[in-house]
Amino acid sequence: MSRQIPPDIERFNVIFRIQHVLMFTTFLLLSFTGWGLKFAYEPEGLSSIWIRIWGGAETAGLIHRIAGITMLLDFIWHVLYLAYLFARKRMTIDLKTTIIPLPKDVFDLIKNFMYFMGLSKEKPRFGKYSYAQKFDYWAVFWGMIIIGTSGFALAFPMLVSYVIPEFTTAWIWQLLAIMHSDEALLAIVFILFWHFYNEHLKPEVFPMNWIWLTGRISTEKLKHHHPIEYEMLFPDDAPESKKPADKKDR
Amino acid sequence: MSFKKILILVAPLLLLSFVTPQEVFSQESANCLICHSAMKGRLKTAAGVLIELNVDTDRFQASVHGFLSCTDCHLRFSDNPHSSPDARVPSELLAIASEISSKYPVDPVAAAACNTCHEVIYRKVLDSVHGRNITVKNQTDGALCLDCHGSPHYITPVKAVNSPVGRQLQAETCGRCHGDKELDEKYNLEENVMESYEESFHARKLHLGHTGVPLCSSCHNAHDIKSKDDPDSPVFGKNRLETCGKCHEGANEKFIPAITHKPAGPIPYYTEKLLIVLTMGVFAFIVLHVIAEALSDIRDAIFRKKEGSE
Repeated sequence: MSRQIPPDIERFNVIFRIQHVLMFTTFLLLSFTGWGLKFAYEPEGLSSIWIRIWGGAETAGLIHRIAGITMLLDFIWHVLYLAYLFARKRMTIDLKTTIIPLPKDVFDLIKNFMYFMGLSKEKPRFGKYSYAQKFDYWAVFWGMIIIGTSGFALAFPMLVSYVIPEFTTAWIWQLLAIMHSDEALLAIVFILFWHFYNEHLKPEVFPMNWIWLTGRISTEKLKHHHPIEYEMLFPDDAPESKKPADKKDR
Repeated sequence: MSFKKILILVAPLLLLSFVTPQEVFSQESANCLICHSAMKGRLKTAAGVLIELNVDTDRFQASVHGFLSCTDCHLRFSDNPHSSPDARVPSELLAIASEISSKYPVDPVAAAACNTCHEVIYRKVLDSVHGRNITVKNQTDGALCLDCHGSPHYITPVKAVNSPVGRQLQAETCGRCHGDKELDEKYNLEENVMESYEESFHARKLHLGHTGVPLCSSCHNAHDIKSKDDPDSPVFGKNRLETCGKCHEGANEKFIPAITHKPAGPIPYYTEKLLIVLTMGVFAFIVLHVIAEALSDIRDAIFRKKEGSE
């Protein structure tokens, strides 16, 4: 009575895909325009030339604000959509498929490094999201909270000045500028090295992981990269020693 | 000869008057410039002060003062060549000259002569914290006209790119003194002003060619500049509500501390250090991870071809 295993399954529905496209287009616009402002140390420097490409300081500033607001709305949409999925019971928290970081992720990381260094012959077995993917996902939350809120405050200082408590005024504006600029640099570095390597440069996905457009992953890849999820979806196809009931993998 | 023929003969000559350089200065100035355009270097006066003798004729002519005669300002040198240092000078200029003689011991009358045309502004400068440093405290290093505007012979319009008080160079001009360690100490000036301005969004946008951002004079005023501790200063206490409000409509008391020349307090300072550590830590981790993974992928591709699946 083994079920027919389909050639591929849907991993991200169209709403998640649209949210991702909005996220990365606004991210690129924000990075390009913000980079010019961050490194504007001298008149007629490289930053000035770069910003001229984006239509000058006024236009680049407008692009940055519009992209920033769009990104914040995209983030809010994502959170509300998750809440809706939970309310409708279309999404539940299962420790094997959840994107919430768990102790298992730390062990997976150690295991993976041992594999990289040749100390272990076994790769860690991932659920729906590997620790690398969880890191990628939650980095956005960190960025939205730190860069998003500070960016909103810097874009609408007058509005925010009514909200902030009196005792913070001596340092909060400097703090907001530092938070925004330093964490933006971290976000750019993160995307450039982590996300670009894992989803673009890695030989098996080069030039890119097409999942951002199709939303689908082949069951073969699923079995290889997310064995725990695969065995949950297709229990009959799981090897005897690694049935989902097996608690060896925590 | 008919009128028409005369016109045909004269018209090209009229055109010539446009294409050849015109001598706009007076015959008298031309006389001065015969020597002073050729003289190079400086001369030490009896008082031990070095004075510049050279006047670049082309730059002088191109400047906003190019139409003036030398003796409009150098009133004591009415004869040729300067033999009558006691020539008649208007009494109000003599009064100013005596006020500023500590700064201009050689020829205070010439330095006071700006007042002939720029009377209102000159009064403001003399009453400002810069002017009073000279007139009241008799110091030699308080800023007066030439310290900010450069040589009176070569003054360019404030909109010109090379104007020392224009958008491009003003901060640099103010920074010559307000960033000088000795002067900061001598006058107990606010330190860190240039650094904090350069760090600010205002200066960064200025460098990127934004046309709306403030320069030093936008907040501190130009000629009637006051000490930051003077209740009349536009950056004193609540006056900032109006000063910031010029651009930021509705500026309130919680908004105005956003721009300050004070160095970062402990909270922003240590937060920044923390964020730098975080960034470097994350960077080190991801670079290490990516390199280790890439190397192990290469190793697997070469040595473990068969073990690829799971």
